[in-house]
Amino acid sequence: MSADDANDRQDEPRHPYETDESFHPLGKEWEEQMRDELEETDFDADLGMQMARDAQRLVAGEITEEEFYSSYHDDVEEEFDVDERPVFDDIENIDFDEATDESMLESLKDVDFENEDISRRKMMKKMGAGAAFLGYGAYATYENQNTDDAVPQDISGIRPAGEGDRDHRWGMVIDLERCDGCLACVTGCINENGTSTGANWMYVFTYEDEDTDQQNFLVRPCQHCSNAPCAKVCPVRARHTRENDGLVLTDYETCIGCRYCQVACPYGVNYFGWGEPDVPMEQIAHLEATPDEVQAMDPDERHDALRDVQDHVYDDRGRWVDSRPPQGVMGKCTMCPSRQDEHTPDHGPKGTVACMDACDEAGMSAIHFGDMDDPDSRPNRYLEHRKDVEESPGDKAERIAEEEEEDWADPPAPHHTTQLSTFKLLEDLNTQPNITYIGNEPGPEAEQVEGPVRYSSLSNDWGVEVVDNRKEHLDYGAQANRSNQEQEADD
Amino acid sequence: MATKESGPEDIVRPLHNTSKWWYIAFGITAAISLVWLTIYGYQLEEGLVITALSDWGSGGGVTWGLYIGAFIWWVGIAHGGIILSAAVRLFGMTKYQPVARVAELLTIAALAMAGLYILVHMGRPDRVVTSVVPSYPWTVQSSPLAWDITVITLYFVMTATYLGLTLRYDAHRLRDQIPGYLSPLYRFITIGYTKKEDQIVERMVWWLALGIIIMAPLLLHGGVIPWLFSLMGSMPGWQGAVQGPQFLSIALTSAISGVIIISFLLRRAYDWEHIITEDVFRGLTMWLGLFSLLFVWLQLQQVINGVYAAGISSETVMMATITHPVYIIAIGIMAVVLAYIFAQAIRPGVFSIPRSLMASVLVLYATLTEKILFVVEGLQYPEFSLYAGVPGGYFPSIWEMSSVVGTIAMCTLIFLVIIKIFPVVELHAVEDHHDHDESGDHGDSSHDDSGDQGTAVATDGGATGLDLGIETAGTENERATADGQTEVTDK
Ligand code: SF4
Ligand code: SF4
Ligand code: SF4
Repeated sequence: MSADDANDRQDEPRHPYETDESFHPLGKEWEEQMRDELEETDFDADLGMQMARDAQRLVAGEITEEEFYSSYHDDVEEEFDVDERPVFDDIENIDFDEATDESMLESLKDVDFENEDISRRKMMKKMGAGAAFLGYGAYATYENQNTDDAVPQDISGIRPAGEGDRDHRWGMVIDLERCDGCLACVTGCINENGTSTGANWMYVFTYEDEDTDQQNFLVRPCQHCSNAPCAKVCPVRARHTRENDGLVLTDYETCIGCRYCQVACPYGVNYFGWGEPDVPMEQIAHLEATPDEVQAMDPDERHDALRDVQDHVYDDRGRWVDSRPPQGVMGKCTMCPSRQDEHTPDHGPKGTVACMDACDEAGMSAIHFGDMDDPDSRPNRYLEHRKDVEESPGDKAERIAEEEEEDWADPPAPHHTTQLSTFKLLEDLNTQPNITYIGNEPGPEAEQVEGPVRYSSLSNDWGVEVVDNRKEHLDYGAQANRSNQEQEADD
Repeated sequence: MATKESGPEDIVRPLHNTSKWWYIAFGITAAISLVWLTIYGYQLEEGLVITALSDWGSGGGVTWGLYIGAFIWWVGIAHGGIILSAAVRLFGMTKYQPVARVAELLTIAALAMAGLYILVHMGRPDRVVTSVVPSYPWTVQSSPLAWDITVITLYFVMTATYLGLTLRYDAHRLRDQIPGYLSPLYRFITIGYTKKEDQIVERMVWWLALGIIIMAPLLLHGGVIPWLFSLMGSMPGWQGAVQGPQFLSIALTSAISGVIIISFLLRRAYDWEHIITEDVFRGLTMWLGLFSLLFVWLQLQQVINGVYAAGISSETVMMATITHPVYIIAIGIMAVVLAYIFAQAIRPGVFSIPRSLMASVLVLYATLTEKILFVVEGLQYPEFSLYAGVPGGYFPSIWEMSSVVGTIAMCTLIFLVIIKIFPVVELHAVEDHHDHDESGDHGDSSHDDSGDQGTAVATDGGATGLDLGIETAGTENERATADGQTEVTDK
């Protein structure tokens, strides 16, 4: 019942938290109905109602968890006749924001009742009514529009956690005015991830726009959208958003290869495993264990094990999400989770990505990766810096006025926001991209042209051929690519 | 033949007599199916690289193609089929009762083919259960593809129930007239059958039919299937609320065409001129005309909205669509079909069953190509069009095209087998037939003798234009009489 009800509720105007009539967001009638239901059980209805009310206050942040638990611990012990306090010891581990009535019930089921006098079933019934009620309250007042926080551990979410609950929100500031189209980032990404020919997770457009003959560049990794349509549409939650840091990843062990994510992504950043990957698994550093084994490991142990082998396949949750996808599975830019999870500290520390490293090495420093939540992160500091150095409209107008010495050039009332042009790609689609660009946004008439460096001229550590248009390669070369590689490279 | 009375012995005839044509048809379809299954095996082995698909974006291709187009085509036939059959039951359109079960069987077979296409389309079909099921409670909240899986399953179950219930009735009454080797099967499906259940079943079937009719526009081809596309902000060619009605109209046109073709073949093979009368074909042809008109009308809506001062992206995609040869041919076919149907409505002499058959085959061709084009064009003109590789090229590979032939062969094969196991015309139809004539309360006595195409045709054809066989009143009574009748025939 939870999911649907909760969805319905979101459509309605939000209930005031508590009215004179009723503490329950669904109003008096509902409250009375719940009381009746509680009274039918052996559960103390007054206590239940009081708990439900406070549970909602807890969710709303009006009382702390400690206050909540301490005020009910004794009551509950008495009511349930249990010597130990398994009930709330267990509940303490539940994050209320993430609890639905279902998961709450689940966790209550696991409570081990020592007392033989009360039949487990009866207890369940009591607990069930109370817990359902609690859960309901939690759901009703849960502010975040995100029903998805209710998903259990082994199912992935589709949104990053709320600002206070996440560790990071990885993203980039890309300064297109610094980019010179050298494609160093493209090579850097291929070296890091071993992607197949034509699967250019990092892609750089060279384009011409109206009114200008100059070449412009657009650097295009996955935008790691905070409201990612690709994750929303995935029928198996293989494409998902890592809640603690907002990375949008694909679980290669779950993906069924339906390619819906690719269809839903407005940016065209996905590259499917149409055939056998060019770089075999043996060449990619990884822990010798099956995904099941890795996931079954204790988190700390897993972290150490992955770190020991400088694993580039599993992330810290033990999911196979990094490096190129196997056959039949979707891949795209990952923002290098092995680095963010500190599995490859020597080769790439946390807070860096391979494309940025390559860009820095090439002396361009157009890509600035980091935590967008953190004002002191590299991208945020860079953005601030760029805003500062950019001429303000007032300054600019003054300069023009001086140069032209004409009255008509008198500036309009200068305002103090910066002149710096920044944009996010297709922002009006509400995908909430985590890449901010500095520079001009390509207009509707923009046209991609041949860039200063050709994709086919790139070489990489794996010896994998690089091409721009993957379709041609798939049609004419992929099946026989190993033998034909040289021949292909010529054209 | 004109004066032949229809009875149970007619409908069980296919179970007894097997002509050499059946063996030939069986042999051919089985061979084609096997060849195609081998091709599918090859695809499993090599990966989807053998298709002409590629990644959209820098990949320069389209990621969904013929497989998805053919999938929605089959689903459309299936959904249309069940809507037809439900309408026959719900509105008491007894005239079409002889083809109601054909429509139901077509639904089952077409749904099976649609399901098969999902597998064929997927990169990792081996994971279909292991990946979809565990995450289902969450994905069903967000993924249109999960909704899709839900309704397809739901409809499979509903249709099978529906079919099963009506089969029980027939199986019980025909159990003495079937070949001995089928007896165990018939005993199995009639386990626990008593005459008392007839009325209950009748009511259940009625409610099921009501459910199907109500849910069709909401959930089936008027809802979930078009939502798969129309909710994607990434592809303007797919967007718009018109997709629901558009899909539904195409589904119904395709399904009626399918029913016409199968009915024609059955009538030919088993001399059922007196059961599936010419009148039935006239009526079906009129319905085909009605839905074809809807189809063309909705196309017009889209075209006008797309080209008249629309946004850049929707104009581009609409211009591309209406100038595409495949589209022009499809719409041209629809125009020819409509011209024929109008002509025969005005001048009944224009009507002939082979002509209607021809029209049906053409319609199915047009709807299939329209579906594939719809999918491909949508992906070729995405919102974000900076990629030089967009619009990408796509022409289905020979392997992909073989799947259409393969699935049609398999669908036919399913029919060929079913013909030998169950009566494909329900007993009610031949019983009602008697009843129909005797009660004579419809002012339309041409059912039995419409076989002789004399003067009756003129008057009858005129009537068909208006009276499409809907007899909403008196259904209950008729059912009652039919049951009474049953008792007699049964003995
Ligand atoms: S850019 Fe595309 S693939 Fe990346 S998160 Fe956004 S929608 Fe998903
Ligand atoms: S291709 Fe994989 S990741 Fe993408 S939507 Fe399908 S199952 Fe999900
Ligand atoms: S962030 Fe990592 S995966 Fe993404 S483009 Fe850069 S190197 Fe490639």
